[in-house]
This record gives sequence, C-alpha cells and structure tokens, in this order.
Amino acid sequence: MTNKKNKKYDEDVEFGVDSRYASSKEYDSEAASLMEARLNRMKKLSGSQIIRARLIQLKLQMDEYLNQPVYDNRNHFSEFLKRYIDTVYSARNKFAHDINIDATKLSQVINNHREPQEEFIMKLMIHSEMVYRDICDFQKRTWYQVYYQEKICDAMSSQDEWRPKIEKEVKLSESRL
Amino acid sequence: MYIVEVSSGDKHEVLVLPVEESDYKQLTKTRFYFAWKAEVAYEVYKLLLIRTGEVLGLVSLERIPEEWRVHIRLLSVSKENAGKHKKYDRVAGNLIAHASKIAVRSYAELACVSLKPKSHIAQHYIDQYGMRRTGMTLSLEVPEILDLISYYSHD
Repeated sequence: MTNKKNKKYDEDVEFGVDSRYASSKEYDSEAASLMEARLNRMKKLSGSQIIRARLIQLKLQMDEYLNQPVYDNRNHFSEFLKRYIDTVYSARNKFAHDINIDATKLSQVINNHREPQEEFIMKLMIHSEMVYRDICDFQKRTWYQVYYQEKICDAMSSQDEWRPKIEKEVKLSESRL
Repeated sequence: MYIVEVSSGDKHEVLVLPVEESDYKQLTKTRFYFAWKAEVAYEVYKLLLIRTGEVLGLVSLERIPEEWRVHIRLLSVSKENAGKHKKYDRVAGNLIAHASKIAVRSYAELACVSLKPKSHIAQHYIDQYGMRRTGMTLSLEVPEILDLISYYSHD
C-alpha cells in the first residue's frame, strides 16, 4: 500500500520533492562537485549580469528592512544609497552630475553630514525607476519609505535620550475626553 | 506574488511566511506528504492564500553560507494542488522563488539555490525553472535565478 502510494506521488513531479542528503558523505561529495562547477560558471558571468544581481540584492534588502524594521544605530538610508551609486557608477560624482546636484552635497548625504532634501529623494526615485526598469519591480515609494522608516526607528529606539527633555514641554491642560 | 486558479484563470495573491509552532498541527502528512514537524530545526515557510488564509504549500530550507547556497530540503504543495486536477498553479514556483530571494538577498551574484530530486523528476525542474544539473544536485544560479525571481515577483 505504502509503495503504491509513494509510486503515485513520484509520478507526479509537482507534488514536491524530498531533497535531503542521505548522508554527510553524499553531501560532501555533491557539495564539492557543485562548487567546482559553479566556480567555473561564475568566471563566465558578464559585468552586466553581476550588476543586475547586486541591484536585485539591494532591492530585496531594502524590502526586508521595510518589512522587518531594525532598531539600531546604523544609517540604513545612506548605506543603501552608497551601495546603489557604487553599483551603477564607476565614480560618485557621475551620479551627482546625472541628478544635477553638487558632488560635495552628495558626499555629505552619503557620509551622514547632511539630511537629504525632499528634491534629492524625488530625483533618486526617478533615477531608480530608470535603472530598475528592465531589471525587476522596484516600487517608487521605496527610497521614501526607507528614509522615514529609519527616522521612526531612530526616534523609537532613542527615547531614553530625547524623552526626558521633550516630555517636560508637553502637557494636557484641557481634556474633553 | 500570485497563484492562478486553474479552472478560471483568476489570479490570487499569496504570501510566503515562516511556519510557526502552532501551524504544525495542520501540516499533516496526509495533506503535505512529509513529516514537517521533523523540519523544525530548519527554516520552514508556508505559502498562504491571502483571501482565505489557507496554506497551499511548504518548503524547508538550509542556508549554507560557506557555499553561498540555500538548499531546499523539502518542498510540497498541498494534496489538492498536485496532479492533473490541481486547483491552483504556481504554488511550487512561488516557493522556489522565495528560496531564490533569500539566496540573492544574501549572496548577490554568488547566489545558488539547490535541490536533489529523484533522477526521474529532475528533468521537470530543469525544464520548468531553468535549473542546472551537477551530479545528483540541481542548482539555480545567476542569471537564471534572477529571471525566476522577476517572473514570480510580477503582479
């Protein structure tokens, strides 16, 4: 009965697959030959295939940050921005030229010495639309969302620092509740 | 992400989420072919039909960072979605695309998703998903892995 049942499933390729290695010996042997074959194939990847992979990686990491906010001290917006520019351009000033902003200002945004202005994020949004058009779905709102997500996370995670002072300035003198 | 209702051609939105401890009761061998509870030490994901909250497929994954690889240990569609009379199409593809996203998110151009199906069903995975064969193992790598992600990410 069991054999008959298994046979039926085996004939149906889409029911699923049990892909577990039978032993560590089998795993080791398969892993070694797979890695060798992959390394040979990797050598043949073109520059544009590598850039495409890195841009999709960046998009997936931004999506992950938006879905699972991280409450830490890292500057996620500028880190994503830096990687975006360095993936697409050989020099950051070429990106500054393409979105018509001063290269020094761009450097300050990347190094967290200046807040990005709204116009900067708008230009970044349009630039990303152009870059990602033939690569994958990239939501227009992504850069805005990352920027504001970071602001929210920063404010929530640093309450110990700002709250004592700000709290003194807030009161509820009248309540109609 | 979406699946297609075979009878009508209608698209339905789906989500892939981690399986929670409380899910295992309904992930029976009768409906999902394998003993999924045994996979609890690995990353197990469910494909959920948003409209009804119904689980339509499962995948368990092992990340192998030293090889920039995500290995699919088990993959299963629910019983009613297997075979000629299946209700929904694209369930397995969406689960493989999810594994591919994890691999590319972690390893970019080095990313690899692997699978070790029985030899007589390997050709299906090669034809359907653009996998390559090395020994008994099938793998998805750049550029095919990127094409698969794009194909299954479109609304």
